[in-house]
Amino acid sequence: MLWEELKESLIFLNGEEKCEKDILKKMGGALICEGYAKDTYVQALLLREKRFPTGLDINGIGVAIPHTDPRHVKKEGVALAILKKPVTFRHMEDEGVRVSVRLIFMLAVLNPEAHLNHLQCVLNIIQDTEVLVQLLTAGGQKDIIQIIKTKEETL
Amino acid sequence: MKKKVIVACGGAVATSTIAANKILELCREYDIDVDICQIRISEIEFHLDGTSLIVTTTKVKKDYGVPYVSGISFISGIGEEQTREAILAILKV
Repeated sequence: MLWEELKESLIFLNGEEKCEKDILKKMGGALICEGYAKDTYVQALLLREKRFPTGLDINGIGVAIPHTDPRHVKKEGVALAILKKPVTFRHMEDEGVRVSVRLIFMLAVLNPEAHLNHLQCVLNIIQDTEVLVQLLTAGGQKDIIQIIKTKEETL
Repeated sequence: MKKKVIVACGGAVATSTIAANKILELCREYDIDVDICQIRISEIEFHLDGTSLIVTTTKVKKDYGVPYVSGISFISGIGEEQTREAILAILKV
C-alpha cells in the first residue's frame, strides 16, 4: 500500500509557502533527498505543472496532485503538504480557472499500470471531502497518517 | 464491433491511467467491447483513425471531429455518474 511509504519526513505541515513554485520545490526536493526521485525531478515537475496543471476543487477544498514523467523517478512514493494559507494553482480541467490550494499530494510515479492501486489510494483520499477536512485540521504527522489509514480500512 | 477509445492526459502517466481503468470497468459492466488507447494529449491527432470517443482529464480546445467527454470527474469524484452516462450514450450506439 502506498501509505506505508508515507514517511513523516515527507509530510509538511503549517507550510507558509507563498506560491505554487515554492511548495513544489520544497516537496520535490524532499522526494529527491529521500531517494524517490532524480535530481531532474523538481525542474520537470515545475514544467509539467505549467503545461498541465493539477489543481482540483473538491466541494470548495482546493487540492493539487502534482506529478511528472517516470523518467525523473527512482521509486514510487508520495509526499503530502498542508498549507496554512492557500496558494494558487491552475485547474486541471481548465487552466484558465484558479484554485486556492491548501492540500498537496505529490506523486512519484514510476509505472502507472503496475501501480494503479497507488494512484487509486491517493484518489480515495482526495474524493472524500470529510477526510480532507480532517487532514486540514490535523495536529501532526502522526495524526495525518492515522486519518489516512483509518480511511483505507473502510475501503 | 470493438470500439476504440482514446484516453489522454498531459503525460499519459497518472490521470489517464485512472480514467482508462474506470472506462474499462464501465465497459465490462455493460458488455461493451472496447480498445483503450492511452496516450498524451499532444498525440491525439495521430491516433484518430477508427476512434469512437475521446476522453481527457485536461480540457482540449481542439475539435477532433470525434465525440468528446471530459474525464475530470474520474479524478475529482464529483459528477462521475454523469460522466459514465455520457460515455455509455456514445459507446452503446
